[in-house]
Amino acid sequence: MSSLDLDRSAPHPPSREDEDSAATPRDTGGRLYWRSLDRLLDSPAVQEQLAREAASEFPAGASDAPDQVSRRTMLGIMGASFAMAGLPGCRRPVETIVPFVEGPETMVPGVPRRYATTMPLGSNAYGLVVESQDGRPTKIEGNEQHPSSQGAASTWMQASVLGLYDPDRSGTPRHRASGGAESESAGEAEGGHGEAEGGHGEERAAGGGGAEPSTWEDFLAFVQELGTELDATEGAGLALLTTAHSSPTQARLEAEMAVRWPRSRRVAYESLGDANLFRGCEAAVGSPCRPVYHFEKARVVLSLDADFLNHDGESLANTRGFARGRRVEGPSDEMNRLYVAEGSLSLTGAAADHRLRVPSRQIAGLAAAVASQLGVSTPAGFDAADLPSGAGSKIALIAEDLRSAGAGALVVAGRQQPPAVHALALEMNRVLGSLGSTVTLHEMSDTAYGDAGDLAELVGEIRGGEISTLVILGGNPVYSAPGDLELGSALGQVENVVHLGLGIDETSSAAGWQLPEAHFLEAWGDARSADGTLSVVQPLIAPLLDGRSAIEVLAMLVRGAEVSGHDLVEETWAPVLGEGGDKAWRRVLHDGLMADSKAPEVAVGGALQIPALEGVSAEGFEICFLPSSATYDGRFANNAWLQELPDSITKLTWDNAVLVSPATAVELGLRSRSGQGDRVRLTYREKTLEAVAFALPGLADRTIGLVLGYGRSAAGRVGTGVGFDVGALRSSAAPYFDGGLQVEKAAGTYPLSQTQEHWEMEGRPIVREATLAEYRSGHDDLDRVFGTFRNLDPEKSHQPFGDFDYSESPQWGMAIDLNACTGCSACIVACQSENNIPIVGKEQVARGREMHWLRVDRYFSSVDSEVPDDPEVVFQPVPCMHCENAPCEQVCPVAATVHDRHGINAMVYNRCIGTRYCSNNCPYKVRRFNFFNYTKDTPELVKMAMNPDVTVRSRGVMEKCTFCLQRTSEARIAAKKEGRAVADGDVKTACQQTCPADAIAFGDIRDESSEVTRWKKQDRDYVLLAELNNRPRTSYLAKLRNPHPRWSPESAMDGGAGGGDHA
Amino acid sequence: MPDRGGPREMLEIKILKGLALATLLLVAIGCTRGSTSSRPPIHPNPNMDLQPKYRAQAASEFFYDGASMRPPVEGTVARGELFEDVAFHTGRNEAGAYVASPIPTDAELLLRGKQRYDIYCLPCHGDTGDGRGVLYERAQIQSGNLQEARFHEMPDGQIFDTITNGLGLMSGYKYPIPPRDRWAIIAYVRELQKEAGV
Repeated sequence: MSSLDLDRSAPHPPSREDEDSAATPRDTGGRLYWRSLDRLLDSPAVQEQLAREAASEFPAGASDAPDQVSRRTMLGIMGASFAMAGLPGCRRPVETIVPFVEGPETMVPGVPRRYATTMPLGSNAYGLVVESQDGRPTKIEGNEQHPSSQGAASTWMQASVLGLYDPDRSGTPRHRASGGAESESAGEAEGGHGEAEGGHGEERAAGGGGAEPSTWEDFLAFVQELGTELDATEGAGLALLTTAHSSPTQARLEAEMAVRWPRSRRVAYESLGDANLFRGCEAAVGSPCRPVYHFEKARVVLSLDADFLNHDGESLANTRGFARGRRVEGPSDEMNRLYVAEGSLSLTGAAADHRLRVPSRQIAGLAAAVASQLGVSTPAGFDAADLPSGAGSKIALIAEDLRSAGAGALVVAGRQQPPAVHALALEMNRVLGSLGSTVTLHEMSDTAYGDAGDLAELVGEIRGGEISTLVILGGNPVYSAPGDLELGSALGQVENVVHLGLGIDETSSAAGWQLPEAHFLEAWGDARSADGTLSVVQPLIAPLLDGRSAIEVLAMLVRGAEVSGHDLVEETWAPVLGEGGDKAWRRVLHDGLMADSKAPEVAVGGALQIPALEGVSAEGFEICFLPSSATYDGRFANNAWLQELPDSITKLTWDNAVLVSPATAVELGLRSRSGQGDRVRLTYREKTLEAVAFALPGLADRTIGLVLGYGRSAAGRVGTGVGFDVGALRSSAAPYFDGGLQVEKAAGTYPLSQTQEHWEMEGRPIVREATLAEYRSGHDDLDRVFGTFRNLDPEKSHQPFGDFDYSESPQWGMAIDLNACTGCSACIVACQSENNIPIVGKEQVARGREMHWLRVDRYFSSVDSEVPDDPEVVFQPVPCMHCENAPCEQVCPVAATVHDRHGINAMVYNRCIGTRYCSNNCPYKVRRFNFFNYTKDTPELVKMAMNPDVTVRSRGVMEKCTFCLQRTSEARIAAKKEGRAVADGDVKTACQQTCPADAIAFGDIRDESSEVTRWKKQDRDYVLLAELNNRPRTSYLAKLRNPHPRWSPESAMDGGAGGGDHA
Repeated sequence: MPDRGGPREMLEIKILKGLALATLLLVAIGCTRGSTSSRPPIHPNPNMDLQPKYRAQAASEFFYDGASMRPPVEGTVARGELFEDVAFHTGRNEAGAYVASPIPTDAELLLRGKQRYDIYCLPCHGDTGDGRGVLYERAQIQSGNLQEARFHEMPDGQIFDTITNGLGLMSGYKYPIPPRDRWAIIAYVRELQKEAGV
């Protein structure tokens, strides 16, 4: 295969001239848009692939049969449960009806019900509303009343329903009589990084290193005996290790534990937590508190390495507010402005109007420099010389812009930045007058921070022989703890290790007691959201397996008796509910939260305390640990929906890669090939890891981005052995970024499955973008502003089959606001969950067989054609366009794809014979074909995650977005029963419902007052490939950016300037 | 002139065609509905008839009771099921005393009540409410005679409670009959009592 050298000194000119000169990329406002570096430089590999695609429609190799090995891999992913009521011979299968013997009062079979509940994630809590089909949770949506979700749900929240039905969850308590862990198995959990292929699966199946099945009664007897022993020593030698949490009930039980055993240790650890933020706020204000941002009020925002739109705690609420502040309906509307300084390329950076490519270690200095311009005294440890070169004028400009916004300014620091930067950000907000307006500080209680330093201290005590019993409630610290702690081997020194976890993972392999944990969808609990609102975790289903929740196990330990989670939560809430009693409790369960339980705001008087800045070594390369948008910190590794979800920026699936900037790739001699990455060897603090490199523009030069959450050695059938365990390199002293990394090219390559090259639209200008100023000044001639062609003149366009019949209401249509979309991909998972979309596996993705009905295209753009260091990023969600003149329908020989009267381009699966002509003729590339029976081996448990209202497709059938036909039908039927017309807002498609940015409008385009009609009437509205006269029902609103008029691109900062003498 | 093959090839083609036809015929016969075999019919095209998902009331091997439908967890409250109107949902007021029907009686309610009564109550209680329905005719089991004075004097709320939770041999009907229909049935029973001249 031909390779591409990313040598910038000899750039390949874009050789590919589109036949349609009006549609060349350069005509879109002088910008060049591309989807990957290969595409930009038009490597022969991509050209070859495009040529094959043009000839054969699907990406190269898509129609080749999988080889033996890969077929097996796929079977492994889907679970090799052949027990599914298969087809006995060719006889019609016998189906039985099993009704309730004594049914619950309000349940009607087949009619879904909804429950409010809360998903705790670290010290955050997100209110959810979960759809329950016949008592089984199937679809997760956000709770509109909840301050932290506001009706939206992220990828992780939505996919957690699949986590509930994970066939690899453990079912019974297990006990290993030998007591302490065998350090051998623990060492194994830590070792073997970098090997993607490995026989861990079999090892796992044997069940956590020789532990025997036990019972909860045995465990209770064990803790009762242990309790009496501990009473004698006041709990010396007992340690509790939890995840970060904000649960009042758990906090209460931990307090009980402290009373009964004063000498016991209680530690929380979170791999990706907000400990830095909490420590910073506490240092600045003097008491525990946490900030809540109100982006809807912000006019100028400065993000200091904060990914507040995606990976940081309150991303859903932040995205809602931020998108609201960018909502433009006409040229007179105002838009906020976002400055982002960051080392890696996050979604927040992608949304920025101005992005500063700064290594993470220089963010603190940058923050201090901006702060001093605002009149904040510079903190100790500030080195004015260690600022990125050329940053001075920009810092002044940012400070000026912030000051002019006053109370509408907002400075946000990222969770990976040290406490000092958080304190600086708060102080800047205070000086600007935005404290109390765009950011409010709330008192914090019941919250465990989850600091890596605390864990390091605990490990020190373990090594010192001070800990004889360690109870690990939830989490997987052996995997997620920084590698330098060697927690796995340390556990070998503890006599009794108890681990409560969802499955048999790296930690339980090292534990004597392996307890099955109840998923949050099957347990009672509670949590506080960021602003302190009391939220309740309400079970949707009785525990599928014999699991208990963390509070139940903690109560067993502390009280020596089994108390149900419900009773524990009620004990906590009774004093809060007070007079209201049962009625108030029912209201709390119904709403999922207690109204008006927000924590009081902290009054801030004078100047805040700023801790000293600590210098970070500038030697070597910068190592920078990033959360995975799929597996987070590895906890979702066994979730196939998330593993197959393309990363928002890199579009990689089923893998993590070492991210390097193009310039660094050149420096290291790394080459980028289509589907293959060069291996690199990383050496940091005497640890070495070999992994695959991936060149990503936008990263600071000499900053190496390592994505956590992969390389699990005992995750389950989906997640075991996927990717590289970069956490092994992590140090507890600098868990997020540090200098002193050595990188060198290693031998060999590694295959990567990226969705970026699939479903290519041949470089036609399909994203439209302008600045707010251009939009305003060129308002009389938007063709010039947004590109060369607008929607076709209906007078001139020929309608071969006549105009579409609009006589019957509703006529469904969709509009997508590119200005709001942040690319978070929540819509993809919503669609997957709602529409039973299958998983195909890494090897199938590489062949272009991914099945997502909705994809989010990511385009980089730049003004020149060289490989840019600092491109801008645009996201474009692409579902089916539901064309009125649908090209797919005209070529189907069996009328398997037809229009319904309401304008939906529907698929009749049973008619489809799999010619794939429709897909060939679709200019938007939104049709997906079932090359195999991907759902044939669906395990019994996973079948419960399927939406019963949607067909599970079989092999040989084409499928695509249906505008959530089951939802539109349900609304039409409901309206008909009530004798009324379908009202605007009756139907929300799954993607629209979950979108935290409100970037999607859907409804009746016949209705003049509907939201979607109002959007489509805006002058930014355009349809894709209008010149084809397909008349799509889905249209887009062009993207706007709001750059500062005096920002000069010429002095663009060199991201590597502070790094050393390489250039 | 194209070579169409010799007579031998022609014969082979004919045999093949015949075989194909016979196979088709067999399949057609095998799939014919109404055949008297106790085995399920032949089903050559799976046609996505059986999908790996659970439809309402489907069986599941996973759960101990063989049902895929799960009852809600005790103590949970679904959206739209706050039921703050205690009297309407339980037949008792907040103090626990039985209430009179909270629903005003009109012709529409009575019609609904009759329809529901005929479906759920008539087999035991009879079409006039005398407690002599089909059950009495066939098994000589007398059900409660709603025409008796004690039922006439019984508060609406108590009848509601009985329909909801059952009494003696009668099982509770809260699952198939929603609360409003229970009140409709009570209104209809009152009408029956009036007709019987109690």
